[in-house]
Amino acid sequence: MDGPDLPGNRPAGSSPDRGSGSLPDGGVGSLPGRSAGSLPGRSAGSLPGRPSEATNLADILERVLDKGIVIAGDIQINLLDIELLTIKLRLLIASVDRAREMGINWWEGDSSLQSLDSNGSAEKQLREENQELRERLDRLERRLGAGDDEGDK
Amino acid sequence: VSSEPGAGDELSRWATALGPAVLARAQAEAVEVLRDALVDAALRSRQNTPASSRQSKPADQTTPKAQVPSEPDLLWAYCVLKADDPHPPDLVGVESREPVERLEAGGLAVLVSRVPSAEFGAEPLRHNLNDLTWLERVARAHEAVLDRTLADATIVPLRMCTIYETADSVRRMLERERASFFDALSALDDRFEWAVKVLIDSRRLLDAVHAGDEGGDPKAEAQERGEGSSYMLRRRSERAARESAATIARSVADDVHGRLGDWAVDAISRPPQNRDLSGHSGEMVLNAAYLVQRSRTDELRGLVAELEDRHRGLGVTIELTGPWPPYNFIPGDGAAALG
Repeated sequence: MDGPDLPGNRPAGSSPDRGSGSLPDGGVGSLPGRSAGSLPGRSAGSLPGRPSEATNLADILERVLDKGIVIAGDIQINLLDIELLTIKLRLLIASVDRAREMGINWWEGDSSLQSLDSNGSAEKQLREENQELRERLDRLERRLGAGDDEGDK
Repeated sequence: VSSEPGAGDELSRWATALGPAVLARAQAEAVEVLRDALVDAALRSRQNTPASSRQSKPADQTTPKAQVPSEPDLLWAYCVLKADDPHPPDLVGVESREPVERLEAGGLAVLVSRVPSAEFGAEPLRHNLNDLTWLERVARAHEAVLDRTLADATIVPLRMCTIYETADSVRRMLERERASFFDALSALDDRFEWAVKVLIDSRRLLDAVHAGDEGGDPKAEAQERGEGSSYMLRRRSERAARESAATIARSVADDVHGRLGDWAVDAISRPPQNRDLSGHSGEMVLNAAYLVQRSRTDELRGLVAELEDRHRGLGVTIELTGPWPPYNFIPGDGAAALG
């Protein structure tokens, strides 16, 4: 009856795409919200080679690249001045706002990145939302304007 | 007679006021998406290049001169400690075949190891630093030396890529910077840096906001005003929920940072980390570091657990890592000493 190997027994609500069947068939099904401990991270799949037990690379980079006493060495490398490092790698450790503060805004003029930009689903959605809002506002305004303006004057 | 502004004016003012906010939000989110794409690209290029093939490449490409075998090695410096303090005997340096050695001058010691100039000279270094695989390996090796030394000594971490040509110039540096190193060592004596991150599960937070938001009933209001308004009201209440979630998230971060900051010797808050590098889940609303007396480590753990319990219902988890070398708490932050 409750044989765990019968696929037909799965509750309809369970989402098989979440964990490729690796979820134990224990009592987890009753608390779908709890299993979100591992949120559908946007990029969990993009780092297959990363050893997960190692210290967080972000923790290390934000320290070794950005902190630690700076003294003159014989090899003069100013980490702040290295071209690509300042741009791409800094975006890895710093927020975009921070990048802007540092005067980094190169992506805004880069056509290849702008195409990325317009494909961004979040932006597209917001644009549509915005458009929708405008249309509704227009309609409302027309309707209200027709009644109120005449009544007021 | 027409002292009262019409509803039309009011609406158009409202629309004018709303426009920029919506646009700003769209822009911010677009930049988010872009950043993720960039990070993905950088990480993918790192994965696609086999680690073995990149060791020699930079040198070949950028400095043909460096192939001359007689090119002398350079010295990579890790950290400064008091000459009295010990360091672990079996440390592995950024160039794994070279042992970590200790140079002393003026009552101070600095840990160094040899690195090949074909890889760490100014030009190849510049190139290599842009290679995330190389950077990760070297950064981790640098950090590992500091981590292990930290256990039995107070250290001043040196910025990655502090490189010298000779042992003599390292000793001269120690003499020259003697005073500021001693200042830093006494400020950091017997203290650890700990990292605290506050992560919020946005969905659980929104649920909590909705659960606590029994006040206004947008549906009833909407029915009074008709179809078009219903749409606007729904949008508005969704936005309001998101805004109060953001406000709550900020106040949780403020509470944690305030409490720990008051308690610790020193505190610093940094920008949230990139998810692809850190692998965190949820929203990182606080990325902070605290300087804490070594003897108070257990107290810190208790405090963090207490704060996490307090906010758990809002989908909050607090991550504590450490001890870290005191990167974030070097007096004066060193930058002035450059040059």
